[in-house]
Amino acid sequence: MSALREAIVLPLVFLSVVLAASLRPGAQVTVVPPSLGSLVAGMVLFALLVRSGAIDPHRLLHPDRSALANLNGLTVLLTAFVASAQMITMLVPESGVPALIAWVVLISLLSQALAMGPDRSSLLRGLMVTFGAAFALKFIVLATLSSPAEGRMARALQLLFEGVTLGGVTQRTPHTAEGYLAFLTIVTYLIGVAFLPSAAWHMARIGPGAHAEVRLRRVERGSAGHPTESDTDTKA
Amino acid sequence: MHETLTRGAGLALTAVYAGFIGWMLSAQPQTIAQAVGGVSASVGAYSVDAQSFDDGLVFFRNDQFVEARAAFARADPAVRDARTQFYIAYSYYRQGWYRSHRDDALYREGVIVVDRAIALAPGGRLIVDDDNLGMRSADELKAELEAGLTRQLSDFNPLRWLESRK
Repeated sequence: MSALREAIVLPLVFLSVVLAASLRPGAQVTVVPPSLGSLVAGMVLFALLVRSGAIDPHRLLHPDRSALANLNGLTVLLTAFVASAQMITMLVPESGVPALIAWVVLISLLSQALAMGPDRSSLLRGLMVTFGAAFALKFIVLATLSSPAEGRMARALQLLFEGVTLGGVTQRTPHTAEGYLAFLTIVTYLIGVAFLPSAAWHMARIGPGAHAEVRLRRVERGSAGHPTESDTDTKA
Repeated sequence: MHETLTRGAGLALTAVYAGFIGWMLSAQPQTIAQAVGGVSASVGAYSVDAQSFDDGLVFFRNDQFVEARAAFARADPAVRDARTQFYIAYSYYRQGWYRSHRDDALYREGVIVVDRAIALAPGGRLIVDDDNLGMRSADELKAELEAGLTRQLSDFNPLRWLESRK
């Protein structure tokens, strides 16, 4: 990985994610720090990134590297972690039953991913789907339910819905720009994660049975520094 | 050499950017003007608009408090100047002062603004040298505003009607 990408591009991308995910535009702009819950969830997400090989801490922090390079590596790790936590704060609804459901689903998905041990590409695809679903829930479904209804019929239905749910579903109505900003933030975060220095190994799945053929994929570094794959068949 | 330079520059850039985000989280600027003013104040480049401040002062002395506050807000869009905030708080005091009673809503706003003025003043000490004012320190103004918000027996003293506005 080039020094430019490690020292400048990645930290700035992740810090931009932190800033954009903390902004709540409106008549009065507020800046929201990551919640304590999202710090814990962010830690789990970060662990997933490491375990899947999406990020290889050894390529960022290593005794063979210079102190300055290690500082840059530490910056990448820290900013990636804070960006992960801030993304979760941004995507989880702020209050009521939706917040509870979103937390339960999110923790379940993260735990499931930890148990499954996905590889880098599977994790990135999974993150895209999870973040996309959370975005749709908060900024489309809940925003529509919480925004002031226009017609009388719509107002009556909204009142009825609030009565049935005891007002536990409606949220703060987000500003129009908030959804667009959130979408841009998700895309930027995923691009940042895709550009992280990935591990030079892949997860291997072992088939059932004593004579199962184990197919190991060894990743070797080419002369240009790009990973090239070669398949090696071994008998278990 | 080139790589070391890139790495050093990246570290410095990241530190500045992270510091800016930390400042945004702690200062909670609510408008772009406040954010820009806060950053320029941190490097000593912020100043109030003198013309708008003078306009505000004229309105203030003519007891046109709403107009005065609008002019003061224009003079100090980033809400960083202690003296301007002091005058805004004072305008709430004077507008909310009646011989028979005090306007609680205006006094409450006044307390918020005078607290902000004290927080902005170096060491929390704010003295405004203006002969037109009955109270020249932010501490006096704060005490007066807070006294106006409390209910006590002396509020029913008829001699209170003889008090004058400061």
